[in-house]
Order: sequence, then structure tokens, then C-alpha cells
Amino acid sequence: MAGIDLQFALEQVPKILQGVPYTLLVTIVAMIVGLVIGTILAFFRIYRVPVLHQLTVLFVSFFRGTPLIVQLFVFFYGLPMLILSLNDTFQWGLNPDIMSPLVIALIAYSINSASYLTEVVRSAIQSVDKGQLEAAKAVGMTTFQGMYRIILPQAFVTALPNLGNHFIMLIKASALAFTIGIMDVLGISRVIANDGYRFLETYLVAALIYWLLSIIFEIILARIEKRARTFEGRASNTA
Amino acid sequence: MTFGLSDWINILGQVLDRLPLTLAMLVVSLIFAMLIGIVIAFIRIEKIPVLHQLATVYLSFTRSTPLIVQLFLVYFGIPQLLLTFGIDINHWSRFVFVVITFSLHTGAYLSEVFRSSYLSVGKEQLEAAYSVGMTYPQALRRILIPQAFRVALPNVGNHTIELLKDTALAFTIGIIDIMGQVKLILGNNYGVGMFQIYVAIAVVYWIICILIELVILWIERSQRKKHAGISN
Repeated sequence: MAGIDLQFALEQVPKILQGVPYTLLVTIVAMIVGLVIGTILAFFRIYRVPVLHQLTVLFVSFFRGTPLIVQLFVFFYGLPMLILSLNDTFQWGLNPDIMSPLVIALIAYSINSASYLTEVVRSAIQSVDKGQLEAAKAVGMTTFQGMYRIILPQAFVTALPNLGNHFIMLIKASALAFTIGIMDVLGISRVIANDGYRFLETYLVAALIYWLLSIIFEIILARIEKRARTFEGRASNTA
Repeated sequence: MTFGLSDWINILGQVLDRLPLTLAMLVVSLIFAMLIGIVIAFIRIEKIPVLHQLATVYLSFTRSTPLIVQLFLVYFGIPQLLLTFGIDINHWSRFVFVVITFSLHTGAYLSEVFRSSYLSVGKEQLEAAYSVGMTYPQALRRILIPQAFRVALPNVGNHTIELLKDTALAFTIGIIDIMGQVKLILGNNYGVGMFQIYVAIAVVYWIICILIELVILWIERSQRKKHAGISN
């Protein structure tokens, strides 16, 4: 069983590509849900909401200070237990099986992602000049309107590079989902590799797919960033 | 089946049993990663032909593929590749493969940290050093590195913490570290759930992370004091 069998490697490409939708599903859901939760938590921190502010700090520290794979296992074994105990306390009839590995992975990645994005959103909002909000209020907007119409759009542009990095990081992090049984790119590769003892070829194909995915999204993100930037430039030039 | 405080302390103790292995992976990989980082940074700064292009491909690959895929490639792939040339390394310890993977991975990130921190020190600093008669090695040691070190420190700290968390992946190739210990704990303790074990493991990682952060913060503070002294 020595040597590299290129033929074999090529044959595996279509099979392994079938994992890409799962990889992207986990990545995109984690990004969107993480961004929503992260933005809410960022406001807790910016406005120093008592209790919630401290809890957010604790939450961010925990999820950034522990390995993602440990968090996955905590959720994997913890979520069904949570449902059982909810059933016990409230006499609900929830089926713990609703926590399929995919649902658990989506929850775990979203919460992990939220902890990182909290800091990204917070620093982006704080980078917008305070005078902007004051000006919005001066023309009669409420704080919420000012945030929504003036501050957040500007903060979004500032946050874009970090959001892009985080997205690429999520693509790579999603590879860990195979440990709880998700058949993503790595999950399928592992099955194929263990089946035929063709480790080098299969993992090489998997690595190339991840590499390509990262490069494609890097290009897309660079375009989005550029578009956001030109808009910013024009606005400041006319002012 | 109540899970009391003494049970928690019991599992924590068993997890901590395997802490030295995790720390060994961290420290050994970090040392090699720094060496790799310095070499790659040098190649990229000096733009050495061929090596420069190779380094760029290497950086792109390591930073765009999941670490776990790299770990599998090194652990399963390299022995298979070398067997083609008649070299058998299957008997090598798993620890070696883990260290190779983590060093190459973190080395790629550190090389960018080193490169940007070196470039952040202005060129006029080097010119000034030359004008007072220093040679390049002298300028490097006395002028450039001390300043670049301050810039690089926070990032090196972040990557150390990343590396610590990454070591949790080593169990996937059969290393019995904190994560690999789970089966043993299950065998020893009647009635301990997987959930409790992983919470305990998470807490251990969390504490080490906080400790590393504190150390970095302490070094940063002591550096800042020194810097202020000079500029005053």
C-alpha cells in the first residue's frame, strides 16, 4: 500500500464534494446567528447593562478560552440532558432526539461564533465617532433610529475585514463537526480514508477542497469590502 | 445519582493528571514554531528567490485549511508518502507527529507576526544605528529586536492561547492528553456522565488560558515601563 494513487484521488473528489453543503451550512448559520447574538451582547457591553454586562464578559471569556472541540462535546452531551431535565421540571413531552448531531453542531458553532463576534461588533460600534449619534439626535432621531440608520451602517464597514476573517475561520473550524458525526467534507473523507487505507490521497483532496473554499470566499469578501470602501470614499468626498 | 462537589474535585484531579502532556505539546511546539516563524519571516523579508514563493504557498495552505486536516495529513499521509521511498516511520511516537503539525501550523502564523513587527520598526532606526557605527547584527540585537518584540508580544500571546486550544485535537490521533483521558475517567467512576467530564475539561483549559493571558499582560507591562523610561 505504498505510493500515491492519483487515479484513486480523482475518483474521490465528487464523493467528498458532497460534504461541501454541510460545511457551508454550518459556516453560514454560525455566521448569521452568531452575528445577531453577538450584536445584542455587544450592546450589553457598550451600555454596561448591569448583570448582563458581567455575564457577557464571562460568556466571551469562556467560549474564547476553551477549545471548540470541547464545547462541541459539552453541547453534544449536555443538550439532550437539558431537554430531559426540562421535561422533568415542566412536565413537557419533548423528544430528546430533536437534538440531532446537525442541530447540536449548528447551536454549538453559533454560540461559539457569537462570543468572537461580540468583540468584533463592539469594537466596530465604538470606532464610530460619538458625534454621529449626537448629530442624529439633533435632527430628531431616537437613539434606536440613530443606531440603526447612522451608526450600524458605518460600523459594518469597519467590521467587514474582521467579519471576513471570522468567516474563513469558521469554514476551517467546521471541520471539527465530524467528531459528532456530521458528514461534512472531513467526515466523508475520514470514512473513505479508513475504508481503503488511502489516507494521503483522501486527506489531500479534502485539504485542497478547503483551500479552494477559503480562496473563493477570500475573493468574494475582498470584493464586498472594496464595494463598501468605494461607497465610503464617495460619501466623504462629496461632504 | 447526585453529583456532588467531591465528585467534581475527583474528575478535575483525574483531568489534571494529564495536564503535563498537554503543556509539553504546547511548549515544544511553540519553540519549534518560533524557529520556523523566524526563518520564514526572514525569507519573506529578504525576498529570497524560489524560497520566497514556496513560503507564500506554504503560508496560504496552512492558513486556509483546517488544522485537523493538516494533522491527519501529517500523521497518516507522511508515513505513507515516505514508505514509497522505502523509509518506514510508522514506529515514530505520535507525539512527534503532533509536534510537527502544530509547529508547522503555528509557525506559519508566527512568521507573519514576526514579519509585520520587524517591518513596523522604521527604517530610519536602522540608518541611525549604522550612522553611529553599529554593524547590522548589532543593530538587530540592540535596536530592532527590542522594539519589534514589543509590537509582536500581544500577537504571540494570542497565538500561544490558540495553540493551547489546538492541542485538544491531538486525541483524534490517539494521544492520551486531557481529552484522551475521558475513557479512563469513565472506567474509573461509576455514574459520571460525559457532560460533566467535558465541563471539567473545559474549565481546566479556561484556567490555563487565563493564566497565559496574565503572564503576557505582566510581560507587556514590564516592557512598557522600560520603554517609558527611555523616552522620558
